[in-house]
Amino acid sequence: MVLTCRVRIGNPKQTIGAPGRSRREVVRGVALVALVGATGPLTGCGLFGDEPDPPPPDPLAPLITGALDLAARYDAAITAFPELADRLRPVAEAHRAHAAELARVTGTALPSASAAATTPAADPGAGSASAALSQLREAEQQGREAAAKACTEAPASRSALVGSIAAARATHLEVLR
Amino acid sequence: MSEALAAALSAEHAAIYAYGPIGVRLKGAAAEQARSAEAAHRSRRDALVLLLTERGGPVPGAEPAYALPFPVTDEAGALRLAVEVEERTAGVWRAALPATEGADRTRALDGLTDAAVRATRWRKAAGISPTTVPFPGRPA
Repeated sequence: MVLTCRVRIGNPKQTIGAPGRSRREVVRGVALVALVGATGPLTGCGLFGDEPDPPPPDPLAPLITGALDLAARYDAAITAFPELADRLRPVAEAHRAHAAELARVTGTALPSASAAATTPAADPGAGSASAALSQLREAEQQGREAAAKACTEAPASRSALVGSIAAARATHLEVLR
Repeated sequence: MSEALAAALSAEHAAIYAYGPIGVRLKGAAAEQARSAEAAHRSRRDALVLLLTERGGPVPGAEPAYALPFPVTDEAGALRLAVEVEERTAGVWRAALPATEGADRTRALDGLTDAAVRATRWRKAAGISPTTVPFPGRPA
């Protein structure tokens, strides 16, 4: 039920001000969807015994999307500048391995490859190879800082994995030098 | 918490020792890289000795000698050992992460990160490809 509602929200054909639907109707519809979304899990409790409400997003979730975004940026740079492939491909693969391992640890499903590819990444084809490398450096540096912060905040059981990811991102900066 | 840092100190002692035989087999830029790596390990060792002394726990000293994993007889061997030393050091610092929190966690992460970066530089110098590993410090 909740899923159905979300799909309706995300329907690209549904535009505000569509013929036959006043703005107020659309607003009311959205409010109803929000209400259903809020009560859905409560009514669903009986179906699965006393399972608690779905937990809030995992603190490592941003690290997963960040890793996939970085992988997509490297892929785009490799497509635009094939001469960089030997250098960059292992790094792209490392980012994907990080995402997979984080997904395993957090018990989440990775978004499909096509969804990850739509991540808005900078267009590396616009400039030179050196400009692409410089953009990658900037993204990698930000990713390194995010992972380092996540490592200091992580529970003991996750600290080694997240620490390795932060360290790996630091080594990627060496590759981009 | 201090046990993990004591293990890291022991690893730093061993790394400093290893850079002796490494340094004598290297020339030029690689020799300079070895000197700078050794200095980094010494600085980390000094900081750990100070910290562990302040806390009053055990402060492991250096052994008189360490058994190298393989004999170093030429430049290639020296570069290979440098990679290995940094990988092992990274592993010990990584193992300290779950045992620490706060400033000590940050210290351990810095130790892991620096060793991982140096391992990458040594792989580059040795012509090893790829120069990176996906999970630095993770046991193979």
